[in-house]
Amino acid sequence: MSEVDGESGGESGSEQAALEVVDLHKSFGNVEVIRGVSLSAHKGDVISILGASGSGKSTFLRCINLLEIPTAGDVYVAGEKIRMKNGKAGTYVPEDIHQVERLRARLGMVFQSFNLWSHMTVIENVIEAPIHVLKIPRAQAIEEAEALMHKVGIYDRKDYYPAQLSGGQQQRVAIARGLAMNPEVMLFDEPTSALDPELVGEVLKVMRDLAEEGRTMLVVTHEMSFARDVSSSVVFLHKGMIEEQGAPQQMFKDPNSDRFRQFLSRTMQ
Amino acid sequence: MDLILEYQAQLLSGTWVTIQLALISLVFAVMFGLLGAWAKLSKNFLAQKTAVAYTTIVRGVPDLVLILLVFYGGQQMINSFGAMTGLWGYVEISQFAAGAGTIGVVFGGYMTETFRGAILAIPRGQIEAGIACGMNRLTIFRRVIWPQMVRYALPGFSNNWLVQIKSTALVSVIGLQDVVYNGFVAGRSTRQLFTFMFAVLMIYLVLTAISDLGLRWLDRRYSKGIVRSDNG
Repeated sequence: MSEVDGESGGESGSEQAALEVVDLHKSFGNVEVIRGVSLSAHKGDVISILGASGSGKSTFLRCINLLEIPTAGDVYVAGEKIRMKNGKAGTYVPEDIHQVERLRARLGMVFQSFNLWSHMTVIENVIEAPIHVLKIPRAQAIEEAEALMHKVGIYDRKDYYPAQLSGGQQQRVAIARGLAMNPEVMLFDEPTSALDPELVGEVLKVMRDLAEEGRTMLVVTHEMSFARDVSSSVVFLHKGMIEEQGAPQQMFKDPNSDRFRQFLSRTMQ
Repeated sequence: MDLILEYQAQLLSGTWVTIQLALISLVFAVMFGLLGAWAKLSKNFLAQKTAVAYTTIVRGVPDLVLILLVFYGGQQMINSFGAMTGLWGYVEISQFAAGAGTIGVVFGGYMTETFRGAILAIPRGQIEAGIACGMNRLTIFRRVIWPQMVRYALPGFSNNWLVQIKSTALVSVIGLQDVVYNGFVAGRSTRQLFTFMFAVLMIYLVLTAISDLGLRWLDRRYSKGIVRSDNG
């Protein structure tokens, strides 16, 4: 089961969290889009992050691997804190970019718009980071990539280029690319939002399989059925803060907050 | 025809000078272009403004004026500076160095714009994907940006290169014995300017045709992953 606690720091709890975020803030100019969000994911947790557009859920996810630099707050990956310092003019910046790069490699990320490297074939996309970041021997990387491509059902397209694939196929390749780093946590940023409706199912199925395997996942999504049926806990963001969180069965049946109730009635027709 | 055969040694040596000049100034142009594109896209205020000043100036003045300025004016400046400080004695800038350097700097200005546009054409998400995988900046440049930048830059680059080969002809004005200079001298001494200038013209055409083949090969090599309309 998941444990999403707002107060405790990095080292608390009996079991070390795979990912822990403590009091994260993010402003763009004068607008604060994340206003103190904390959560922790233990091994095997699947946490769905819901929220209306503009609630800051994608920004929150992007702050975890520092694609966006948070304005304040701490992120721990497998107990290791990403060290930040105060830079010029009161900015908050990473202390050691090498540490950031090392920890990013332990967080797989799947984007809304797939973001496959268009000049590389499917298999080249999957083996790229293992070879050039983790420095795994090529033969071993290929072997592991082939297993992953079987898992996401894209093996028969391994020598195709991204432009020759459907959106659903591209997203499955992107998932394989993330998994190839053998990450602590997989981050999904609205993985099905850019897909034609008939292609959503194949991507969700892969994500379901990963959840069943015990992968730790953070999923920003609009797929209510995924959030309800697959995730171990749900976080509902509203205006950059956690409005409600808990087990999906309970939250979907009997929401505490009016806002989440309204959100559900708007999205679950 | 006989006349040309008689002067073929001069024409060939001139052609060789032209080729060397074009290739060496190309290396400079690519270097300045990459540096300029990097500076223009960087967040560093000083680098950005310097690059803007650079491209504005070199693209805004005639190549010939710059070549004359560097060759005559530059030599004067270096020597009066050397005499003033006593750091060096008399220095002579060779025509070749002045020509290759100036053409390189000028076309670096055009390459800056070509490369900048090419880098901007790469979808930002692909760079983010590299960052998210833990790649460092060099790896992202080498593995994600460079291969795609070359493809996006190639049409503009090809244009620049063809103009650049032809610009080397200007260096004959400062006395470098390139194909134009040697052809002109031969034409005047034999009073057959038409014949020799026509021969020079054909030589340029051969050079640009060969370049075209090379550029097409590069285009094929860097077009991996592009679905062309006929098979998409």
